[in-house]
Amino acid sequence: MQTATLTGNEPKKSLIHTRSGFLAMTGVLLIIMLLSAGAAVSFGQVEIPISQSYRILLHQITGIQIGDPADLASGSFVDIIWKIRLPRVLLAMFIGAGLTLCGTIMQAAVQNPLADPYILGISSGASLGATFAILVGFGSIGFLGQTGIAFWAFAGAVGASLLVLMLASSGGKMTSVKLVLAGMVINALCTAFANFIVYFANNAEGIKTVTFWTMGSLAAASWDKLPLISIVIVLSVAFFLLQSRVLNTMLLGDEAAVTLGINLSVYRRAYLVVSALITGVMVASCGMIGFVGLIIPHMVRGLVGSDHRRLLPTSVLCGAIFLIWTDVIARTIVPNVELPIGIITALIGAPLFMYMLVKKGYAFGGKS
Amino acid sequence: MNLNVDRLCVSFADAHIVNEVSVQVKNKQFVGLIGPNGCGKSTLLKSIYKVIKPREGEVLLGDINVIKANPKQVSRKLGVVGQFNELSFDFTVQEMVMMGRTPHKGLLETDSSDDYRIVEAALAKVNLASYANRSYNSLSGGEKQRVILARTLAQQPEFMILDEPTNHLDIKYQLQILSIVRKLDIGILAALHDLTLAAEYCDYLYVMKEGRVVAKGEPEQILTKELIAEVFDVDCEIYRNPVTGGLGIAYLQAGGM
Ligand SMILES: Nc1ncnc2c1ncn2[C@@H]1O[C@H](COP(=O)(O)OP(=O)(O)OP(=O)(O)O)[C@@H](O)[C@H]1O
Ligand SMILES: [Mg+2]
Repeated sequence: MQTATLTGNEPKKSLIHTRSGFLAMTGVLLIIMLLSAGAAVSFGQVEIPISQSYRILLHQITGIQIGDPADLASGSFVDIIWKIRLPRVLLAMFIGAGLTLCGTIMQAAVQNPLADPYILGISSGASLGATFAILVGFGSIGFLGQTGIAFWAFAGAVGASLLVLMLASSGGKMTSVKLVLAGMVINALCTAFANFIVYFANNAEGIKTVTFWTMGSLAAASWDKLPLISIVIVLSVAFFLLQSRVLNTMLLGDEAAVTLGINLSVYRRAYLVVSALITGVMVASCGMIGFVGLIIPHMVRGLVGSDHRRLLPTSVLCGAIFLIWTDVIARTIVPNVELPIGIITALIGAPLFMYMLVKKGYAFGGKS
Repeated sequence: MNLNVDRLCVSFADAHIVNEVSVQVKNKQFVGLIGPNGCGKSTLLKSIYKVIKPREGEVLLGDINVIKANPKQVSRKLGVVGQFNELSFDFTVQEMVMMGRTPHKGLLETDSSDDYRIVEAALAKVNLASYANRSYNSLSGGEKQRVILARTLAQQPEFMILDEPTNHLDIKYQLQILSIVRKLDIGILAALHDLTLAAEYCDYLYVMKEGRVVAKGEPEQILTKELIAEVFDVDCEIYRNPVTGGLGIAYLQAGGM
């Protein structure tokens, strides 16, 4: 019976798997995330020395002065850091965490490690909403005229995902295969409508805005956008952390879950609706940023395993760190030009995704 | 804990898969369910453990009305070893078995040292103690089956349902699993394919054909040449095994060949 140590697939019983080891790792990741946020404000078209950035942030937040007070109180650096870059870095942090959270939840809900937050037709729904708002708009029709692109993107995202959920549960039980297929159908429909609008729009500037928006960008970050996003994401992380046990049994499939006392169809629907709402809020504030929700949970699973009590906190922190630095790359890789962050995440994510497919030989929708 | 299934009917669309089946398991008996492929054994068991909703009939486990009760309440009393053992995500064997504790845990409760002890004991019982940190997906079919049994043991049920528990197992573990289950001293309802094993381990047998119970009784009394010919369409001779003294079945050939 002592055949325990074969090579290959065994997860190492490392420090991470002990309780204190795991808490330590989470602490370290949290510190890395905060230090990253502090460092990331140094990068951009104006380079600011990192040590000075930290001193300025420290002064702004706590009032503690280190070094030359002249640097801290005045000068354009303070404005750049505090008014422009910090909200943006924080937005990146929250969006990274949120996208990873939604990815992890969707993957559990449809029992497919290749699901991502956009699987439910959310992206195309949001695009359609935004395209409509930018190119057609509601002009002067009362209060509708006051609503912005963000609202319509949100409405499109949520509307599309509810449609997908309805379609997937038609004719009885909702299965993951039906979900994926329904997502494809709604995607195709929304894309067709959006293209229809673009085709007939006589508005070059508007079309450019639409394109830019679909590629995802954090450039519109500002302090007044942060409260909504941060509250939504912090609350949803807390909510799903409480649901870890249910998420774990979800991975065993409907039948095993029932025998362990959990009726998945109720939870699955609830989780998908909550994820769709969070994704809607995120898409509305920064457009589409692909692949984050796909690759981060996958890589973190390789490190800490599938148990959501470890997976969720770790992957949320890693997602936040990842997006902070991806945004730095988007701001600095081409001098004097700011690339949409969606391009960078796709450039990094797509090859990684391909590598995952080849290495693991995953079957799409293998389970129904 | 006693199980009382009363005139259960299951249909899919227009097909009546299970027709007015009644089954009783009393006094911590080991009750076997036998019958040819497709006769409705799994369907019957699934409607008992709440995966399928029966069209008619009642299921009582102790004083719990299983069909109406919520799954959590049922899962504290009823353990199931089914045939749903493939995963698209990976867990360690230890994590897998720990999930057997889910029914006993609240939302915020963490795994206690008691839980770890129960998991360890369950793994030891199926001879997989050294596998705790192995990845579940890397195990062989038989090892997976034993992990699932360990998970069900960790659930500490008062009644257990097994659907072909000896699938994938070599002869040693077929015997081992059946004796582990027998020694649990709880009520058992198990679908079995091997008639000799069924005769040896079961206190009572129900024989199903085309969605109905066609015979029931103690193995010695109902496992006759005539019944096997009628239900399984196979000619055989029944004899007393000279070594074990148990019931032996010599299969001759499938009927109509
Ligand atoms: N979801 C379903 N829809 C329609 N028919 C079904 C469904 N599930 C099972 N059946 C049919 O019900 C019958 C009984 O199936 P069941 O799985 O209960 O058989 P079984 O007795 O367990 O057979 P085996 O010995 O092969 O495991 C089969 O004819 C099967 O095709
Ligand atoms: Mg069966």
